[in-house]
Amino acid sequence: MALRAEPPDGGWGWMVVLSAFFQSALVFGVLRSFGVFFVEFVAAFEEPAARVSWIASIGIAVQQFGSPVGSALSTKFGPRPVVMAGGILAALGMLLAAFATSLTHLYLSIGLLSGSGWALTFTPTLACLSRYFSRRRSLATGLALTGVGLSSFAFAPLFQWLLSQYAWRGALLLVSALSLHLVACGALLRPLSLAEDPVVGGPGAQLANLLHHGPFLRYTVALTLINTGYFIPYVHLVAHLRDLDWDPLPAAFLLSVAAISDPVGRVASGWLGDAVPGPVARLLMLWTTLTGVILALYPGAQAPTALVALTVAYGFTSGALTPVAFSVLPELVGTGKIYCGLGLVQMVESIGGLLGAPLSGYLRDVTGTYTASFVAAGAFLLAGSGVLITLPHFCLSAPTSKPQDPVTEALDTKVPLPREGLGED
Amino acid sequence: MPSLPSLRGPRAPPLPLLLLCLLAPVRRSSEDGRTPAASFTSLPVREEMMAKYSNLSLESHNISLTEHSNMPVEKNITLERPSNIELTCQFMTSGDLNSVNVTWKKGDELLENNYLINATGSILYTQYMFTIVNSEQMGSYSCFFEEKKEQRGTFNFKVPELHEKKKPLITYVGDSVVLMCKCQDCFPLNWTWYRSNGSVQVPVGVPMNNKYVINGKNANETRLKIMQLSEEDQGSYWCHAIFQLGESEEHIELVVLSYWVPLKAFLGIAVEVVLLVAIILLFEMYTQKKKKHSDDGKEFEQIEQLKSDDSNGIENNAPRHRKNESVGQ
Repeated sequence: MALRAEPPDGGWGWMVVLSAFFQSALVFGVLRSFGVFFVEFVAAFEEPAARVSWIASIGIAVQQFGSPVGSALSTKFGPRPVVMAGGILAALGMLLAAFATSLTHLYLSIGLLSGSGWALTFTPTLACLSRYFSRRRSLATGLALTGVGLSSFAFAPLFQWLLSQYAWRGALLLVSALSLHLVACGALLRPLSLAEDPVVGGPGAQLANLLHHGPFLRYTVALTLINTGYFIPYVHLVAHLRDLDWDPLPAAFLLSVAAISDPVGRVASGWLGDAVPGPVARLLMLWTTLTGVILALYPGAQAPTALVALTVAYGFTSGALTPVAFSVLPELVGTGKIYCGLGLVQMVESIGGLLGAPLSGYLRDVTGTYTASFVAAGAFLLAGSGVLITLPHFCLSAPTSKPQDPVTEALDTKVPLPREGLGED
Repeated sequence: MPSLPSLRGPRAPPLPLLLLCLLAPVRRSSEDGRTPAASFTSLPVREEMMAKYSNLSLESHNISLTEHSNMPVEKNITLERPSNIELTCQFMTSGDLNSVNVTWKKGDELLENNYLINATGSILYTQYMFTIVNSEQMGSYSCFFEEKKEQRGTFNFKVPELHEKKKPLITYVGDSVVLMCKCQDCFPLNWTWYRSNGSVQVPVGVPMNNKYVINGKNANETRLKIMQLSEEDQGSYWCHAIFQLGESEEHIELVVLSYWVPLKAFLGIAVEVVLLVAIILLFEMYTQKKKKHSDDGKEFEQIEQLKSDDSNGIENNAPRHRKNESVGQ
């Protein structure tokens, strides 16, 4: 297959959207619904809750810190074999976990093995998606990411049912079978060769290039700040509501309200990101600022209607900033370096994610209420959006968001690529 | 209704009326039998019994009835250890209190002694005092007021019930499991475990061996650990909480599956995934082949057209099969 100058913006790209949808469901939906297994593990291994929660924490940490590895491998081999291998690893981790006899086994199987599998799947898929779309990139990303929210709805009751039928060992076996579908999703990722690929070179060269790329580094800092504040409401909203004397059931219901407005925000923002001309970074700044303001308003809201309105708005704006956050990257570094770029970003921003919740908890312990936590979260988001202003072409409207490296190859030139796959010459 | 003199006579100090009734003296149980209602107070209390059980706690319970009560009134009382009991029924009617017939029954058996009757205004009080020390004394105690219609109030005494768990426990062959029974606010004297095949309950874990271990962290819970599970261990298990005044039981269902059950489902899904991957990859190879053929075909056409155009000198506007790039955003 010859090189393309521009992403196809459709065609097989929609199959990639489908694949990314199912992958976000199978990776993050499973992670988010894992709390259902939590109670079973506490009872089965007779361990305290804190030690059991490490299973999910290790899984998330390995998935995020392993992202650059997934990206580098995808640059070299293409996304398809990497994602398929990741799917097998993730399923294998769950399979071994079904035979666990101690908590350490679970740390290693689910945390380390499945976490590595997830690291090899999610980032390469999103990067591949960015390569297939340019005009409709934000919409495609938004659609793909709705998989996360919808799967959390579906998987929590499904896992509960599996537990009631097969107990936790059998249920883990079946979640492993479910995770095998990641392999099928990986098969859908047809390799795409874009014109700038031979120019940017292999993963090592790309990584070195990115680390010297000013705008990329600033963008990474911005995303890290955003990530620090982003998760705090999901982690602490229910506790904050309980502090305000809400009952547990309405408090949990309020979280589901946010979970509904979240995918709506993602799709709307995706569509908007493509429809509005100019750099997508402006929209990211808009959504981030809005989210930061909403978070800062939380301590002031006491009445239930105000809290419900704020939560709906938070779900919408926080969902809205996700697809545009992914869309800014190809504009900055070009679709050729997207794999490595995305991997690096995921790794660094995860530091923010890891620090955010404990920091918020610490502020709560020191001050006694969640006011300081929410205000700090809002401040981080606003700081992140501030850094975004420093990105190139932010204030001046750029004519097109062309990749940095010039496209010089003619359409028919066939250049040997450092990548294998079907259809490649 | 005039106040009724106490048998103690005028030496008694003036006290509130009900208290007066309660302080009525001992009466030989052989005299008179049951006196008609409201004639005078009677309270044959066995002083020896009171002295023996004076270290027990006192439970007092009340039921109110009116002449218009349609349904019998019931009160459920949970009793864990031996206690002195004081049951009071009051009956309000507009009619003549003298004509009301008052009786107490335990179950269907008429009770002869130990109750007193008193009246104030238009309310008739009756009180039954006794002690519960063993399980035969538990049950239902009822007071009856018979006027035109019979009105009835019932006190049901039961030992504490165990918390009902409905979900069956699912385990696998070779695993070990812990069955737990817990009593919320009560402390049984002892716990025992049984399993049932059909209706017969067979004790379990009594000779503690490698298979069964019974222990409990506190007095209000018990744990039965079963190791080396096999499919024969599947079935109903019962834990009995033994109190001085009776027993209470809870049912736990144990299901033992073999690993093959979820494994079959797993293999089925794995096969499905392999098929999906095969279909996707084969479809891709098929479309690539088609494209290649049409590529070759079109290239051939283009070459032909170029040849003919060259010879004709007409400008070549043959459509290219590759998609033209779109202009920016």
